[in-house]
Amino acid sequence: MTTKVRYHRPGDIVFAALVAVSIVLIVFVTLYPIFFVAIASISQPQLVQGGQVWFFPRGINWFGYEQILGDQRIWTGYRNTIVYTVLGTAVNMLVTIPAAYALSRREFAARRPLMFFFAFTMFFNGGLIPTYLLYRDLNLLDNMWVFILPSALNVYNLIIARAFYENSIPEELHEAATLDGSDEFRFFFTIAIPLSKAILSVIMLYYLVQHWNDFFTGLVFIRDYAKQPLQIVLRDILISNTAFAGGAGGAGGTGGGYGQQYADQIKYGVIIVSSLPVIMLYPFLQKYFEKGVMIGSVKG
Amino acid sequence: MAVALETKVATTPPARTRSPWPQRLRQHLSRRWQLWVMLAPAIVATAVFAYAPMYGIQLAFREFDFEAGLTGGDWVGLKYFRQFFDSPQFWQLMRNTVLISVTTLVVGFFAPIGLALLVNQVVGPRRKRFSQTATYLPHFISIVVIVGMLQVFLSPSTGLITRVMEWFGVSGINFLGDPKAFIPVYVISEVWQHCGWNSIIYLAALSNVDTQLYEAAKIDGASRFQIIRNVDLPSLVPTMVILFILTMGGVLNTGFEKIFLMQNTLNLPISEVISTYVYKIGIIGNQFSYSTAIGLFNTLINFAFLVGANQLAKRLANTSLW
Amino acid sequence: MTAAPPTRRRYTRTAAAASFAAVLSLVLAACGGGGSDTDPDASGGAGDGETPNVSIMVIKHPLTKPMADMAWVKQLEEEAGVTITWEEVSADWDQKKNPMLAAGDVPDLIIGNNAITDADLATFGSLFEDLSDDMDALPNVQAMFDEVDGAQAMATFNDAEKSVPSYKKFWPTAITHQYINQQWLDALGLDMPTTWDELFDVLVAFKELDPNGNGQADEIPFDFAPVGTTGFGYFQPSALLGLTGMQIVGGGGGGYFLEDGEVKNFFVDERYRDVVEFLNRCWQAGLISADAFTQDYSTYQSVARGTGDTARVGFSWGWSGSDRFGPGVYEQYTAMAPLLQEEGQSAPVRWSYDFENLTRNHVTMSADPSDKDAVLRVINAFYSPDISIQVLFGDIGPNVEKVSDTEYKVLPPADANLDPSTWKWTSSLADNGPIFIRESMEVEPPTDLAEAVENAVPLAPAFEDLDIDKDVFPSLFLKLSAADQSTSAVNQTAIDGITMPAFAQWVTSGGATDGWNSYVSQVEGAGIQANLDILQTYYDDYIASKS
Repeated sequence: MTTKVRYHRPGDIVFAALVAVSIVLIVFVTLYPIFFVAIASISQPQLVQGGQVWFFPRGINWFGYEQILGDQRIWTGYRNTIVYTVLGTAVNMLVTIPAAYALSRREFAARRPLMFFFAFTMFFNGGLIPTYLLYRDLNLLDNMWVFILPSALNVYNLIIARAFYENSIPEELHEAATLDGSDEFRFFFTIAIPLSKAILSVIMLYYLVQHWNDFFTGLVFIRDYAKQPLQIVLRDILISNTAFAGGAGGAGGTGGGYGQQYADQIKYGVIIVSSLPVIMLYPFLQKYFEKGVMIGSVKG
Repeated sequence: MAVALETKVATTPPARTRSPWPQRLRQHLSRRWQLWVMLAPAIVATAVFAYAPMYGIQLAFREFDFEAGLTGGDWVGLKYFRQFFDSPQFWQLMRNTVLISVTTLVVGFFAPIGLALLVNQVVGPRRKRFSQTATYLPHFISIVVIVGMLQVFLSPSTGLITRVMEWFGVSGINFLGDPKAFIPVYVISEVWQHCGWNSIIYLAALSNVDTQLYEAAKIDGASRFQIIRNVDLPSLVPTMVILFILTMGGVLNTGFEKIFLMQNTLNLPISEVISTYVYKIGIIGNQFSYSTAIGLFNTLINFAFLVGANQLAKRLANTSLW
Repeated sequence: MTAAPPTRRRYTRTAAAASFAAVLSLVLAACGGGGSDTDPDASGGAGDGETPNVSIMVIKHPLTKPMADMAWVKQLEEEAGVTITWEEVSADWDQKKNPMLAAGDVPDLIIGNNAITDADLATFGSLFEDLSDDMDALPNVQAMFDEVDGAQAMATFNDAEKSVPSYKKFWPTAITHQYINQQWLDALGLDMPTTWDELFDVLVAFKELDPNGNGQADEIPFDFAPVGTTGFGYFQPSALLGLTGMQIVGGGGGGYFLEDGEVKNFFVDERYRDVVEFLNRCWQAGLISADAFTQDYSTYQSVARGTGDTARVGFSWGWSGSDRFGPGVYEQYTAMAPLLQEEGQSAPVRWSYDFENLTRNHVTMSADPSDKDAVLRVINAFYSPDISIQVLFGDIGPNVEKVSDTEYKVLPPADANLDPSTWKWTSSLADNGPIFIRESMEVEPPTDLAEAVENAVPLAPAFEDLDIDKDVFPSLFLKLSAADQSTSAVNQTAIDGITMPAFAQWVTSGGATDGWNSYVSQVEGAGIQANLDILQTYYDDYIASKS
């Protein structure tokens, strides 16, 4: 571990000080917005917009959270999103990781054309209407699998994972295993997977967040509200509290109604409600980034 | 890495006289069928969900005619491409799009690398985890709120940042309206929001560095800075190259929502980009063919840059996507 | 690493192959498998021989409660002898709509305020039923066509009546009303301004003399709603254009207006330049909110509400005083008459003609309905007096009191925390619904509407002796073909790209007079003449068809 390494030269001490100062600054700058969102979600919105809330909440009230959490739909949304995310990520990992491993095998003659086959789809797509027609023909409209199957493979993640296998699994390991009579399946399960926990956790995080934040799928392909994910529900709660921009007359003008007044509180509260679960997940995945747990131990 | 390359050369099978292709195919399948099995779900998913709808691309060359079906409209060739090129806004849109996306790409490419190296230097696992988590948090703030916060912080009359800048003697700049301020505000807020998140992949790569290398470097009397340069940075290169190639494929991509929300009549000369233009054309009328054509143009340029970057990487770094 | 025993090895291989096969079959199963399960609710038709089921997609305001909670829905079902399956959309309708229409997936009825637009009808027209030969089954709609001038024309697209409008008689002609802080005027001993110059002097006094008396220079003499990048709307400085004699419509939009039968665009009219120069004069003097061009609508609204009973804004535009300035300070404000550009001007004083009483495309019927007669009965029931009033204001009982057969009284909100319009939008479809409030119905409107009507009174002279046919651009009645629609949309986007930034630039930095000529030629290069020609043709046809 690096913690054991001690540096005593003056240059290193200056360097360490620089690192400390800049990391403190960066942490402040990145932590502050979340802090701001948190205090804005319980402050009087007019004070927030008037630039009077910076470091402490003012005019504290919980209207936003009452409005968000008091809505029954949100619990269905949570349940749906959790189901889609867990199931979707499982399918993603099953589809992506073996494929990434296979594409990393240098002796696999088809790997270059196949990479092109995949990478091409990152750029070219048929557009929304043919996609909609396809889903309809596959009976995916208004079907929970629409959240899982079409996004089964994210080519970006495939490429990242493949690059990792190419660069981090020593070829000699594969050779030695082959000499010992191991085939690809066995090597993949017993050696490649245990060696790639860091990248697996990154890819898993990417997929989790992708599913968690998926808004468009529910918007276009789901019509039954009981199947809508959290993001759609939160969006609806947010929108129902938003001002009638420019539209009075025809659109009525909600006037002094609390709807409009507290719209911004809800806007901030929604961030907290929707991201907290994912944010809390990170430290659990993080432990796989710790140094030296893998390659060293296997080699040793 | 070096070891891997050497062994690769050694295991290359000796040149053989080419046998007829059915036989070679059989041979290939019998030896590699397991790899094909591992790839099968990915291939099926891609074929079904990405390739099957691709016939829709021809809409760019046809008149959208609902009665005649999606692909039944009259063939108009390059009409819609020409319409875009001839539009009085074309050059302005191209300039703005390239300017915004390239600035974002360049800054957004290097910042996470720097951050990962920096976080990696933090001593103590708790502090390290804390700084990682803190920097990744802003990624989860929605665009609407980010833009709302920019408006609060940068307001010419009450904004915190505007006031802080005044202490430093910078006054009279409307950060939200001045066209000159648009790109800096956009890019800095992008980096601020996503830098931590994007550094995760580099942190994962750093975690795979063999600790023996650090020990060896220390024994050689290397300074901390030298260790970063000679041990940490090289271990990131493969990831950097791949991300660089992918980044180049986004040369005409600018996020739509954030730019659209940040747009106002003052900054419009710099903030109108291809994606917002397509949106505006679309809301006035159903412009399916025109927007497909613009989308295809966008894609072709991006793809050309990707292919170029891929070739470059193949030659210079011996790494490539395909 | 040692070789595993062969049995174990075969086991892993089979297990692995099996797990990949499982993923594969999952993909295929989910895709193909669901073929037989049909939604029992969705399969409408008169299957059971008794009550037919009608599927309705309703595009409603996000505040509006679920359809199932509205009592009038039961009444509607009884009257039409159907059961209704609702599909409720309250956000991002445009994104949902395109693929749905392109795939031909339409329910029996689509309801909403301009939910299916004229552009949609031009592109996807064959999806929708022509109602012109079904009028026998729609006596209430026929009554609206007979009673309301223009209702039938609004419904007609290429000689087919595909989309029925709504009519309600209460709304004032103007949506944008003008306000000034009377208490500030009184505190400073100033008279109500009547010209631009007098307004300017008043605004300077507002800025400098601390009219709200809190000892801080926090007054914003003049504020307007944020101007979008695609043209002007309500509560924006385009409100001043009428004062130069140009009869704009709907807040200004893309700039098209009518003058003595000729279609023009104010963006290339020198009278528009005068307005810009006046605004620049105000900006230079620091009279306009520094945030005017960069704030969003909710900031614009909340700033004007002041703090407690201390107002911050002097002169502004809005729908009603209480909506614009909030319960704390709205009583300080008074609704104003239009200003003169200059003393004794020859040009008539006009004001934006908005007329939101007759609005288009409220209900559209599928050309392939589950049970045509049943669907027609539903449309007809919507336009009956009792249902219409409830669709607009809420259920008879909690929301509306039916005084007699023709008299109705809209009740104040049952929830004391709500203002009348939030209450209305929560309780019912309100202005989104298909409604016909006919002349014979006597309705006592809610207080917010009454207030807006009252605030519009000072503007009324601007609409006197107006020649509707020759001076009010009938944009809602011009039904462009798909090709013309497309041409003008592309041109308009290019025009907006020049005009809107120029407006902001000139107001904040000046230069309108010097830059005018090159600006005009740029706008011409973007195709403004082509758009004017297209609109002129359609306008001429429209006038010809009217007589």
